[in-house]
Amino acid sequence: MRYIAPLENYLHFLQQVLGFRTYTLVVVGAAFGFVVIACGLLWLLFPKYASFVLKNLFRNKLRTILAGMAIMVLALVVTLVWSILVPLDAFVTEKTSDFKVVVTERWKVPSQMPFAYAATLEEGAYSQPGDVRVEPGNSMTWMFYAGFLDKQNPSFENFAFFFAMDPRSLLERETKDGKKLPPMMDDLEHPDETFKQAVQKLVENKSGCILGRDRLKALNKRVGERIRVYSLTLKDADLDLEIVGTFPNLPRYNQVGAMHRDYIQDSIDAYPRTHNGTKHPLADKNLNLVWLRVADSETYGKLGNQIMSSPVYSSPAVKCETAASGTSSWLEPYKDIFWGVKWLLVPVLFAIMALVMAMAISISVRERRTEMAVLKVLGFSPARILAIVLGEAVLVGALSGFFIVALAYLLIQGTLGGIPFPIAWFSIWPIPTDALWWGPAFGALTSLLGSLIPAWNARNIKVSEVFAKVA
Amino acid sequence: MASEPIVQVVGVHKYFTRGSEQIDVLQDLNLEVQEGEFLGLMGPSGSGKTTLLNLIAGLDKPSQGDIWVGDNKISQMSEGELARWRTRHIGFIFQFYHLLPVLTAYENVELPLLLLPLSAAQRRQQVTMALDLVSLSDRMKHRPGQLSGGQQQRVGIARAIVTDPTLIVADEPTGDLDARSAEDILNLLTELQKSLRKTILLVTHDPRAASRAQRVLHLEKGQLVEKGTLSGAEPALAGAGRDGSTAIKEGRSIPAGQTH
Repeated sequence: MRYIAPLENYLHFLQQVLGFRTYTLVVVGAAFGFVVIACGLLWLLFPKYASFVLKNLFRNKLRTILAGMAIMVLALVVTLVWSILVPLDAFVTEKTSDFKVVVTERWKVPSQMPFAYAATLEEGAYSQPGDVRVEPGNSMTWMFYAGFLDKQNPSFENFAFFFAMDPRSLLERETKDGKKLPPMMDDLEHPDETFKQAVQKLVENKSGCILGRDRLKALNKRVGERIRVYSLTLKDADLDLEIVGTFPNLPRYNQVGAMHRDYIQDSIDAYPRTHNGTKHPLADKNLNLVWLRVADSETYGKLGNQIMSSPVYSSPAVKCETAASGTSSWLEPYKDIFWGVKWLLVPVLFAIMALVMAMAISISVRERRTEMAVLKVLGFSPARILAIVLGEAVLVGALSGFFIVALAYLLIQGTLGGIPFPIAWFSIWPIPTDALWWGPAFGALTSLLGSLIPAWNARNIKVSEVFAKVA
Repeated sequence: MASEPIVQVVGVHKYFTRGSEQIDVLQDLNLEVQEGEFLGLMGPSGSGKTTLLNLIAGLDKPSQGDIWVGDNKISQMSEGELARWRTRHIGFIFQFYHLLPVLTAYENVELPLLLLPLSAAQRRQQVTMALDLVSLSDRMKHRPGQLSGGQQQRVGIARAIVTDPTLIVADEPTGDLDARSAEDILNLLTELQKSLRKTILLVTHDPRAASRAQRVLHLEKGQLVEKGTLSGAEPALAGAGRDGSTAIKEGRSIPAGQTH
């Protein structure tokens, strides 16, 4: 991710400077340029056969282009689908490192626990020697705070959502014995200086907040300005906040914000002073989630038992689950769709495109039957002829796949920041830079599979049958 | 001529199977070709001329018998071995030239050299020499579609000789040419045989082409009959040909119209 963010920042900048139309032309040119460079490299690596192979591909330009377009469709669709499915799989798969546990209220949604639970839960409910103890820096509490900036005209454009937390959770921390602990929030392992300074300001200024870039733009605000949030989640807890910075340009943070948990606590604690001594309705219900980081699943098992069997957390009762299973439960309604896309749509698409390539290559081999026989007469072995036919197909597939994915990456990623496809709380899906090799790989594999039989037929052409004549 | 034959065909039988029927194309055929000899091969349609040519060129294998070309017993080689052997030892000239249309004349002639461990400079030298020999140096960058029939056949000859093969086999090289172009091609072949001491095996229906050969063999019913020398083939052969009407003396043969 540390390499993606600067690249995407540059693409955003380029698009703003050039305008969308010119940016698109530049991107298309760049994608073509990559293809030309690839052909040039092919010429350098295989000088003997490059000319022959490339000339064969352009002998029937229309057929080559149509076959390439078929591969482009495949590569594009599969890349878009995988850009969603791969991170989803990652979210719902237990990680072997950075193993996170979520503690929430057991019987109610949304989870509303008393903030008093935080002090002991942050240590993993450690109570006696032999218990699992969570180190300081390996825990994070969340309280949700949301509201509108315009009380009279609430809308999505003036809506703001915050995670109220200890801001130190946003950065790497160091333990007393010098061990470095990564941030508790994902994908913030390599922050830039601006973000570090923003977090430091938030630590020092309880009334500060950090906003996602898209949310900041939607609110039409800038860093340094003050905003008043009319609370939706906490009754009579409208808060004045100072925007001290923004999150890095990462899709998962672009629409949210972070604020200091003590600011909300102070507001809740101050409530009785202005309401005849009455406690705030959510005074004992404002802790929504507690995150704990443990070494592995075995430790999680012990910790889970330790927390759920503790008498301290009986009213309300709590439950422990891994971050992956927590995410899974939110994604349960989409499970069948994901299964269908992963195991039906994508394989069927591969099969169809392989058949399209098989047809195109079969026609090409049939047209060139005499030429193949001539090559055999000249001394080209059957294996070499097989390799030539496969090589032509794989080249078309790989170049087409790369071209379209490069284009999609530069256009979609560069302009939108990813694929806008809301699922649960995920609103946008970045196309990973891995896609730049998915495209040529899908294209090459499909072409290879589709051209196997025609190439085998080419290999087996009998010279005596081709040149047989009545004479 | 050298005393050791460059080509030896010993007791070769070749048959094809059509359904349950076995069709004998060549029967107990024996042949020797001396090094540097220009041998013509004639015969009626279906007599097995091209089959014999394919066997000697390593494009097919005999059903029985052995074939030696030089020191190589090609009848025992695998397909891969034959492919490698053909690159160095056989130059094939086709009736319809069969140049690759997407390649230039230079690239067509260079094709067999791509299979040899030569540098680009060495390949360039050999291609240039071959095209010089056939007087087409000024047409190197032309594609086959930009060349006349005679010029295309000369490119085909250049391609056949570029690897300095042991044996040149020509399957009716003048069959698709007008009289003047055919004459040019035959002159070229004769010149190759005389000046470069190339061994040439020519299959033809054309008596003019056959008259260039030092020895002419006639294939009838899968058997060879020596018919003529430099003075030419028998007049009867001029009428032999494509309608398969030549009388068959004994045994069976492939009926007219069937491929061989």
